[in-house]
Amino acid sequence: MPIHENLTVDTPVADWLNPQELMTDPYPSYARLREAGDVVYAPALQSYLVPRYTALRETQLHPELFSVRSSDVNTMMERAFGGNRPMLRKDDPEHAVERQAINPTLRPRQIAQTWSPRFAQTVEHWIDHLLEVGPENADLNRDFAAPVASQNLIDLIGFPSEVHVDSLRRWSTDFIDGLSNVMSDPDIWARCDASRAEVNAVLDELIPHLRRHPDASITSHLLEVNLPEDVVRTNVMLTISGGMNEPQHMITNMVWALSTHPDQQRTVRAGEVSWGDAFEEVVRWVSPIGMAPREATADIEWFDAKIPQGATVGLLFASANRDDSVFPRADELDVTRNARGHLGFGTGVHQCAGRWAAKNAVGEVAVPRLYERIGSLMVDDSRQVSWQGWFFRGLTALPVTWD
Amino acid sequence: MVKISFHHRDGSLDVLNVDDGTSVMRAAVTSGIAGIVGECGGQAMCATCHIYVREEYLDVLPPVRHDEEEMLDCTTEPRDERRSRLACQLSAGRDFEAIEVDVPATQF
Ligand code: HEM
Ligand code: FES
Repeated sequence: MPIHENLTVDTPVADWLNPQELMTDPYPSYARLREAGDVVYAPALQSYLVPRYTALRETQLHPELFSVRSSDVNTMMERAFGGNRPMLRKDDPEHAVERQAINPTLRPRQIAQTWSPRFAQTVEHWIDHLLEVGPENADLNRDFAAPVASQNLIDLIGFPSEVHVDSLRRWSTDFIDGLSNVMSDPDIWARCDASRAEVNAVLDELIPHLRRHPDASITSHLLEVNLPEDVVRTNVMLTISGGMNEPQHMITNMVWALSTHPDQQRTVRAGEVSWGDAFEEVVRWVSPIGMAPREATADIEWFDAKIPQGATVGLLFASANRDDSVFPRADELDVTRNARGHLGFGTGVHQCAGRWAAKNAVGEVAVPRLYERIGSLMVDDSRQVSWQGWFFRGLTALPVTWD
Repeated sequence: MVKISFHHRDGSLDVLNVDDGTSVMRAAVTSGIAGIVGECGGQAMCATCHIYVREEYLDVLPPVRHDEEEMLDCTTEPRDERRSRLACQLSAGRDFEAIEVDVPATQF
């Protein structure tokens, strides 16, 4: 056990860590953090960071020491979602009730039978749209990845077809901005409140309907286990915040990765590596969620550090996924490696509920179908590609072209 | 205490004595038994806690429930129709008084 009682330790400190550099490209900082130790204090973030694979996995195995009920994050989450916290901010056994409600519709068999045909229809529609925009102007993020991710999520939460892809996108953005509104910017709260009102208005009609006509949606599943209605609403809002950007980023990440590695693109398109395996490797290599917060429930000596009760602990998924001791030559993309076991979806009881949905929707439907229909699809180097973020990281623009 | 024996492919054996209510997955993971991952923390969502239960212990076990059944289709090492189970769904005391299992060569 890595809990060393009565042992005096010196916690490594990363006083050099610069949030601005993280925003531009976090990977050089992650490499330095991994060299520094298993747990590293970062004054600029006022957090204890866990940058290596084994320590991160061990930390997630001990929710009794590292709780998701962190007070700062929760205050903002409760504010954003109108007074309640969703499953992601509850520990077991409370969390399990809500999580088990949605698992049945998110396992691989349900994904294949119920959801995959819908994902496929949506993808056809938006490839038509991309082709209309044309090879001079197309932006894969704006014209394909964002609307596809949005429509898939509208379907998964069972929202009616009148809900426009741009509305769900806006709600998602406003919630995410609210969840990270550390400076309590009143404009952000105003947007967040307006979006919450719109989502609640949809739910006011949807909930009574689903009570009479249950379906395969996440919302319907939450209702079926008789959770209080405000708990259902909060978890729908969580899914809107957490189920949109990451699949969107994974569509563009995959096309960018395969464009910048033409040999590997050939390997995948020749069927020598499955699309599912290529998807897992890209989640490992450029992880859409870089970090997730936890809070220490006691004073604890953990690996080479002393963590005080109440401190914020940052699980650096994106860094652990570049740990050479687990993934040889981890900085390189290699679709032929077995990337499973990566931490891009987290691990433990809060491991992503949408992992099989995302793998199918993005890795097995959207991206392969793009290459089937637009064989010469590639990144357009004459226009600007831009990356942003580290907590959540992805491409904000991916100009593409074809012959 | 309930006895759980893990037989590995190389012929080695790990034996644990665990408290009632501990799942086979939780027992393995907290003791660092090689070959059992348990990525999803025991929710029958990942199939990385796949085990083959030895014949003589099969009779007492509860039947495979629907969610376990679905995930057993997703194991990396081929499913054995009789012996394959998810270690997170088997609980010491509740489901067995002692058990011996074979650990697959890989979970990914
Ligand atoms: C490739 C795309 C995705 C990635 C990389 C991703 C990543 C993650 C990660 C890292 C976590 C764990 C956070 C933590 O431990 O604090 C998580 C949780 C979660 N994700 Fe995803 N996600 C993706 C897609 C989705 C989709 C499509 C949905 C919607 C169905 C979704 C719904 C959720 C939910 C509900 C949780 C909370 C689970 C819980 O607390 O038990 N995710 N996701
Ligand atoms: S631990 Fe994930 S299925 Fe058993």
